[in-house]
Amino acid sequence: MEHAPATGRTRALRRLLVNGEPVDVPVAPHETLLEVLREGLGLTGTKHGCELGECGACAVLVDGVPVLACLTLAVELAEHQRVDTIEGLADGARLHPLQEAFAALGGLQCGYCTPGMLMTAKALLAREPRPTAAQVREALAGNLCRCTGYGPIVEAVLAAAPHVAGPAPLGAPAAAEARP
Amino acid sequence: MMRCPPFRYLAPETAAEAARLVAAHGPGAALLAGGTDLLPRLKRGQAAPDLVVGLTRVAALRRARAGADGLELGAGVTLAATARHAALTPAHRALALAAGGAATPHVRNMGTLGGNLCADTRCGYYDQPRPWREAIGFCLKAPAGCAEPAAARAGEVAGTCWVAPGGRRCWAVASSDAAPALIALGAEVTVCSGEGSRRLAVAALHRDDGRAPLLLAPGEVLTTIHVPALGPAWRTTYWKLRRRGSFDFPVGAVALAVRLAASGEVLEARAALGGVASRPLVVETDALLGRRLDDEAVGAFAEAAVAPARPLDNTDYQPAWRRRALREAVAGALREVRGDPPEALGVLARAAARVLPRA
Amino acid sequence: MIGLGERVGASPPRVDGAAKVTGAARYVDDLQPPGCLVGRTVRSRVAHGVLRALERDPGFDWSDVTFVTAADVPGRNVVTLIEDDQPVLVPVGGTIRHHDEAVALVAAPTKEKAEAARAAVRLVVDPLPAIFTLDDALRAEVKLHGQDNVFKRFEVTRGDDVERALAACDVVVEGVYETGAQEQMYIEPQGMLAAWEGDTCHVTGSLQCPYYVHKALKVTLGLPAERVVITQAVTGGGFGGKEEYPSMIGAHAALLARAAGRPVKVVYERDEDVAATTKRHPSRVRHRLGLAKDGRMLAADVDVLFDGGAYATLTQVVLSRGVLHAAGPYRIPTVRIVGRALATNHPPHGAFRGFGAPQTTFAYERQTAKAARALGMDPVALRRLNLYRDGDVTATGQTLRGSVAAHPTLDRVVAQLEQPPPAGRRTLPQAPHVKRGRGVATYFHGSGFTGSGEERLKGQATVAVAADGVLEVRAGSTDMGQGATTTFAQIAATALDVHVSQVRVAQPSTDKVPDSGPTVASRTCMIVGGLVDQAARAVRSKLEAFAAEVGLAADDPARGDLPALARRWAAARGELAETHTYRPPAGIRWDDQTYRGDAYPVFGWAACAVDVAVDTDTWEVVVERCVHAVDVGKAINPTIVQGQIDGGTVQALGWALWESVQYREGKVLNDRMTNCIIPTAIEAPELETLLVEEPYAHGPFGAKGVGEIPMDGPGAAVASAVEDALGVAMDELPLLPEVVHRRVRAGRAGGAA
Repeated sequence: MEHAPATGRTRALRRLLVNGEPVDVPVAPHETLLEVLREGLGLTGTKHGCELGECGACAVLVDGVPVLACLTLAVELAEHQRVDTIEGLADGARLHPLQEAFAALGGLQCGYCTPGMLMTAKALLAREPRPTAAQVREALAGNLCRCTGYGPIVEAVLAAAPHVAGPAPLGAPAAAEARP
Repeated sequence: MMRCPPFRYLAPETAAEAARLVAAHGPGAALLAGGTDLLPRLKRGQAAPDLVVGLTRVAALRRARAGADGLELGAGVTLAATARHAALTPAHRALALAAGGAATPHVRNMGTLGGNLCADTRCGYYDQPRPWREAIGFCLKAPAGCAEPAAARAGEVAGTCWVAPGGRRCWAVASSDAAPALIALGAEVTVCSGEGSRRLAVAALHRDDGRAPLLLAPGEVLTTIHVPALGPAWRTTYWKLRRRGSFDFPVGAVALAVRLAASGEVLEARAALGGVASRPLVVETDALLGRRLDDEAVGAFAEAAVAPARPLDNTDYQPAWRRRALREAVAGALREVRGDPPEALGVLARAAARVLPRA
Repeated sequence: MIGLGERVGASPPRVDGAAKVTGAARYVDDLQPPGCLVGRTVRSRVAHGVLRALERDPGFDWSDVTFVTAADVPGRNVVTLIEDDQPVLVPVGGTIRHHDEAVALVAAPTKEKAEAARAAVRLVVDPLPAIFTLDDALRAEVKLHGQDNVFKRFEVTRGDDVERALAACDVVVEGVYETGAQEQMYIEPQGMLAAWEGDTCHVTGSLQCPYYVHKALKVTLGLPAERVVITQAVTGGGFGGKEEYPSMIGAHAALLARAAGRPVKVVYERDEDVAATTKRHPSRVRHRLGLAKDGRMLAADVDVLFDGGAYATLTQVVLSRGVLHAAGPYRIPTVRIVGRALATNHPPHGAFRGFGAPQTTFAYERQTAKAARALGMDPVALRRLNLYRDGDVTATGQTLRGSVAAHPTLDRVVAQLEQPPPAGRRTLPQAPHVKRGRGVATYFHGSGFTGSGEERLKGQATVAVAADGVLEVRAGSTDMGQGATTTFAQIAATALDVHVSQVRVAQPSTDKVPDSGPTVASRTCMIVGGLVDQAARAVRSKLEAFAAEVGLAADDPARGDLPALARRWAAARGELAETHTYRPPAGIRWDDQTYRGDAYPVFGWAACAVDVAVDTDTWEVVVERCVHAVDVGKAINPTIVQGQIDGGTVQALGWALWESVQYREGKVLNDRMTNCIIPTAIEAPELETLLVEEPYAHGPFGAKGVGEIPMDGPGAAVASAVEDALGVAMDELPLLPEVVHRRVRAGRAGGAA
């Protein structure tokens, strides 16, 4: 049985695999993954909009699954658990197709819901490489956006899909030109 | 950012150990599964346990097993995993709809089936920031600000219920999607304590008391949900009322299960309502037995089903609308299980169809 | 030379896109200077009362807590805006005028400590009777403002005596229209960070109008202009909600930082943000419209009431815009519009996209729908008969001169409705209990400040060769997501004939950019964009002259390489800055006393058609189709412009069907995102957005405002569609299922309207 960290404010080191890098981070029992990412690791790309699981701005991937960092106690993550945030989405300087499509097709305005949207969309495409518009809307139904009206976000996910799942089929347009 | 108050945290590896820890610690202990119900309450000052016992390391709680007699789902199986579990048959549609339509995709990835069954009740006077609740002198559900673990206070009356001020009970509303569905399916649960375990019907898990809605002893941990195998003659569904197609708790819900004879008569039926009392309301279904589900039977059943429902002014929507819309939801759900085509059903059927293709 | 894909009229990717998709963009809560304290606000728990005392729990450890009250305000204890009636902090002995009003401040090293300190302050308050309804405000038994609780009254008249004109009409349609408070619900909560460097106060935060905050903080802190520096951090949405309120939070952060001697960050939590900050004004509009049998509109009498809340804030300007739009885009010879904003004990209502126009648009477009029904006319035909054309005269006596697209926008919508709807749209089944209807709305929205506002503002913008040789746009206009940065970059790049990537848009900071006026009122692209265009052209001609001066031959390709010339200029001569100041086009006249003249430099025009399905089992309304044509003059960046229309349309549909801030005894009851709701991806329909370009001669490349107009009309179109489906008048928003149900019952009981 694991009793550490046992007391309120004591922090114990926990090793997580954040964006592919092992990091040791001190964690107190009552701290959320959101606090650990933003304050402990300085990964401020993950946002907070409500902190009660009601907006989706803090969505990150734990073992590839979109979860809310604001409702996840960091202490509950396993040693070496994989956590992926917006900071790890691009491949170095090369943007992920979802990132390119969001930026090119009006999939973002203020940008505040964007990290959560992108991480959620990434998980969707891993599970469902060629989603329908309705499936995209369903998958993103836990991410509120107040700027775009959602249409361009759905479009961007659909446009990026062929470029994420592997080499694009012959004749498929580039993400930036795929606007119907 | 909103913070959780500090607490001790323990992560036992068995449910029995978790039960012993909670029992030994007393009322200041809280069990933590997916966190989607507890953490918002911690942050809003509605709960302040000094010990949190996390169930995440209890591997047994995440297992699911399908057998001839049905499905055993660990209480820690997520709502998302429940909704798409390979062993669910078309007759389990009500459970798939309830689990697959709860909250949001993210919350369903985190929240567990057991956690949803044990979810706290909700109320417009309780789900408020602490300073506001303090300004009104708190309420019966949490007379000192924080709701104490339910079982510790059952029966004791202190504070005022602002929904029904003169009354001696708390009217906070049951918000579980899974509970009505599991009742309709005839499911049971296993709960374990430090001493052993017992099995009871989901229909016997809750009481109609918003402060202490769970009929569990202190330290009892819900470990397993037993969903019976249902033959192909069973048709089940779950319809819920809420503002949006995502996020919002049910303010009224109906789960239905009927076994139909080839000739169309109802051989068996079970039904439960959610969101209109402090517990899921089991609906009397004898009137349906031996009858065909014609429009008259549907209308009469819907009317009778909502008669015991007491929607009050403590959730979203007005009570009168909730009662009326719930009656239509019951009727619509019955029309669905009798085989009406989706295009003959309304808003609520469309919401259900989004979650799952029609069985 | 600039590529075709980057010129004005094309849609290059947003210049802030890369930072926002990678998580690199820094919003205020992402900034963490060393030693920064967490600031929290102690708030009132009554809506009206006298603050007798502030008691600090003597048992609490205050050693590392900074505590600030009104007594610590070095300058004047007001949030300076229009009337100086709102305190930064309610002083002991002063009057609390709304729930969740700021009374004191605490700062501590950690959030937990700050929160505990906040809770350890007790307010002693003598409650006073309060006002929560327009009727109670009008009765004025409790006096909150003057003797009549009227913050401001405006009157616009045109033509004869309106009563006489109405009496002469064949048909008079009358209605009372009510709308509720709406929360902006930007996803990034409000927040400001303050730090003092010596005797200079630096404030950075989530805001729309750096110079509003600057003006307010000078007064609160008693400092000269150069010792207050306001900088915009990347801002996660505003929609008007970050127009005036950041002055309050900025003042709080600055006071705490001053007292603590350390940086202090005040970031609101969602419940606090919803409870305390401004929202769209609840309204009640009584409207009488007289018509001839043939459909000509002859007279309109409009009485507009807005709930201003507890302080004046921006209410009078919001009311002004509401009043100036209240007769609609219709030729009506006789008009009387009276608008009053009333004081109540609600938190102040303020700026929200549309700024008063959505409320009065809802009324006049419902009236137009009812008039069509009363006359047995097709609603589109009735509109075509009355919609403004070039040369028509408005209610304020403004002669429309060019860029009038009332008819073209309606024509586009009608044509689109002939096309099949988008595939995969959200629909209800065809069933007997599902009723369907269509609603149409036509409307207009003045671009820029009202009346003489732009002339008074004298907004400025600069295009410069910065010291490092980079071409730079400097404007006080902010990007809170609407795309101002990209729009400016594109305008400047086109004027300079360079790539968008070769233009830098400076982060708005009051020590680096001129005062362009606030980022509001559909003015940023049209007014400030125009200044950027002019300044960029001036820089270009100076650099071209410089090329000649340094001896580059006329056919030397280097002469056309403006970025290279800019670097040479900077190396040789340092910075080159061209600043242009707005001057209204000749011939614009406005009289603030009589409210007559040219209310706006130009109007944008729009038409919207909405098809709804109503499930009569539950009375839920589903928008099955929404066709929206908006005239924007010229779309500088069509993707960004369409984003403005799409986003505004969904906010309007939200206002129409779901969004309603509920007050109980002046306290916001639904203060979280699961009860103060906005549409999700599931509710938002597949929009059919159509851009119409009727150029404005004085806008950059013909552009005029677009930010607000999409918010104005869809609400009326939805209500008229529901009325069309059910045959019962739908005269309030939002049309929640229970509201539709109530109105249907009342309609059945009392006969359909």
